[in-house]
Amino acid sequence: MKKIMAIILTSIFLIVPVLARQSEQDLTAQPKVRFAPLHIYLDSGNQPLAAFQFEFKATTGQIKIVGVEGGQHKAFKEAPYYDPAALYKSNRIIIAAFNTGRDLPKGRTRIATIHLQIIGDAEPDYELKLTVAADADAKEIPAKISFEKGE
Amino acid sequence: MTERKEHFDEDLDLRVSAGFSEDLRTLFKPQLSVPSEVDRVVIDKCHQHFIPKHWSHRIFQHVSLWRIAAAAAVIIFAFSLNLTKKPGPSTSRSVLAEAQAVDIDRNGRVDILDAFKLARHIESANRHIESANRTDKKWDINEDGVVNGNDVDLVASAAVSLPLQKQGPG
Repeated sequence: MKKIMAIILTSIFLIVPVLARQSEQDLTAQPKVRFAPLHIYLDSGNQPLAAFQFEFKATTGQIKIVGVEGGQHKAFKEAPYYDPAALYKSNRIIIAAFNTGRDLPKGRTRIATIHLQIIGDAEPDYELKLTVAADADAKEIPAKISFEKGE
Repeated sequence: MTERKEHFDEDLDLRVSAGFSEDLRTLFKPQLSVPSEVDRVVIDKCHQHFIPKHWSHRIFQHVSLWRIAAAAAVIIFAFSLNLTKKPGPSTSRSVLAEAQAVDIDRNGRVDILDAFKLARHIESANRHIESANRTDKKWDINEDGVVNGNDVDLVASAAVSLPLQKQGPG
């Protein structure tokens, strides 16, 4: 009995420092994490915007894409198409939407909001690439894409 | 016969008197008395030593100390791993691969305009009942027998899908 007690006590004395060190490392190794929205705008000029597709990625910094929200105009209010595999796993995402209706936005309009988890103190740099924008007849139109950091 | 009696006195009386017995008992009795509590403890110790050991003792005898040490090592190793990580959501790649083959506008790439054009085509066809039944079955992407919004969704999903090799670590 004394031998078993000695083994148990020895095991405890060995395990407790290991676990304590591990939890300490976990606490100290946790980088600063914050969440921020990124609003994406598309300016189609005087052309009605019926469809768009763009690619977003972070060129510097460590981010995770945690959600994608629809746009400002009711034509693009619903969540756009995106690959769910990009969420939490990638710093890159392709987003697209279309509307076959006639009530379409013109000029500069918010087409989507990307919700980001930013890891670390460094401010990430982002890159947006417009793949295509089209009018109601599915004809490609020139448009300018931009983003604004939200709070 | 008389001579024999002289050497072997077989009829010797061995009985002793009560007074002599009492004197002997007084003379040879133990000098220290053992309390009854001490007697009881000694008996209990004897019982503990000689009766069969408890079942838990037998188990510990069978389970060697090396096995206990191995189990402890496994527990420590399990703690050192982050077992809470779970695989994230994934898209059905086989379905999307099929959809990627569908380039509706035949411009050499699958993008949202393919889905948009297919959606417009379906809406247009639905406005004319006679042509609705004639919707090209080649756009029945999910092969469910009808060309509808589900096929459009599939094409759009293919347009936004990330190639596996291009996905970053996050």
